[in-house]
Amino acid sequence: MESQQRDYWNPWLETLDPARLKQIELKNFRKYVAYAMEHSGLYRQKLAGINPEDIKTMEDVRKLPLTDKEDLRLAQLGEKRSIYGDVLGVDPSEVSDFHQTSGTTGRPVYVPESYESWQWRVEVWSHILWMAGFRETDRVFVPFGYNVYVAFWEGHYAAEKVGCEVVPGGALDTKGRISKMIETRSTALMNTPTYGLHMAEVAGDMGIDPGAIGIRKMLCAGEPLADATRRLLERTWEAEVYDHIGGTEPCAWAAMCKDRNGMHIMEPFFLVEVLDVNDLSTEVGPGELGTVVVTPLGRRSFPLVRFNTKDLARKPMESGCSCGRTSVKIARIEGRTDHLLKIRGVLFTPVAVEECLRDEFPAVAEFEIAVRRTGIMDEVALKVETCEDMGSGACAELRGRIFERLKHRTNLTFGIEVVRPGELPRYQLKASRFKDLREEQK
Amino acid sequence: MKYSDAAELDRLKAMSLKIEEAEKAVMELEELGKGIPVIEKNVRSILSLTNVLKFGISDLVT
Repeated sequence: MESQQRDYWNPWLETLDPARLKQIELKNFRKYVAYAMEHSGLYRQKLAGINPEDIKTMEDVRKLPLTDKEDLRLAQLGEKRSIYGDVLGVDPSEVSDFHQTSGTTGRPVYVPESYESWQWRVEVWSHILWMAGFRETDRVFVPFGYNVYVAFWEGHYAAEKVGCEVVPGGALDTKGRISKMIETRSTALMNTPTYGLHMAEVAGDMGIDPGAIGIRKMLCAGEPLADATRRLLERTWEAEVYDHIGGTEPCAWAAMCKDRNGMHIMEPFFLVEVLDVNDLSTEVGPGELGTVVVTPLGRRSFPLVRFNTKDLARKPMESGCSCGRTSVKIARIEGRTDHLLKIRGVLFTPVAVEECLRDEFPAVAEFEIAVRRTGIMDEVALKVETCEDMGSGACAELRGRIFERLKHRTNLTFGIEVVRPGELPRYQLKASRFKDLREEQK
Repeated sequence: MKYSDAAELDRLKAMSLKIEEAEKAVMELEELGKGIPVIEKNVRSILSLTNVLKFGISDLVT
């Protein structure tokens, strides 16, 4: 089919003049705010006194209050007409899909999708898969039971929509999944980065070179992907590995193109602001780090206005992209504001450790970070698991090198323990390699 | 295939009109088949997809 050769899913939208894109986003933002105020109890209260027609510029947008995950949780507490509480934006009879957040930071938020809102999410994902080169000729393996978590459902339906063939790989163990990938001659994979590494490890144990399985494209979801981990996955699987960023509440709002250098904001589906981490009211400049605030502009079943994702993103120094898309890019995601710690006066995100280990220490298979308080001092403990058994001398040498490199890269001293292969947990969905134990110690 | 080209703009306008017509035709179908599950539910599916097209195409010219 001729369309399969095209670079863009929607050539007009993806090459639109940036000023026109912003104009469309602001128009849709006004409409969306009006809809939210009329149909969602949460926003009727939160935006009382606002006239949507007065929102003409980004400065006007920034006068509206932010929405936090906690607002959504509170709106779903207690005995309500629906389990979705005051955030539901359509009649309960219209809801066709239930999803929920993982609950990593507290009580999970229930997210309702009407069929219309679901198709809107699938369209966003169709853009993402197309940018990553997924086509009719691909057989996409998804090595999970998707459960109530949204990302792989979106990926599954979008892969169908762009014309791929989908092989759902739930209800198998990891060896079974590797065998099934080989048996079905799968060419593309959607998984969490952690599970991508784990599958490669298990394939190795089975005597199979992951690069020889035939996977040539991989789209990662479910957890942040450090650039060093992405490169490691590319080398291991001999595949192009793509990342995107998003969440259950707002949907996926940015993704990589063929350049694999930063991520395009999915404009005009979302109005995205990157705000000063401290005051959350001014947009940061090129090269600066900010907190991402997202408004998905087309989902009526779960209205969400100015959602504080708590993702920390850096804006790129330059605008434009060699792929020709005109949407604004995010240079990289550097963690989450709730993982941004000040340890002995030094700002620290766990991503810095992952970057260092994956980039410089191929002998490390897994790791785990814990922050504890000893007396009045915060201490960072790092466990690293090696790929192969090592003698005590080699362990001490590795520990010493990691200590030096992390000190150099983060300005912090780490208490490092080297553990044997298989001692640290493996994760299929959201990995939990970072633990801040200071609250528990109080 | 640039939005700013006059010919492409005309093409987008023509597509936008067709999306509107398709939506109208489907709503008429819904009226004709009112209360019948096969019509109601399939109409709902089609309208969800025309909504996506309005977002990606019609919005560019309205």
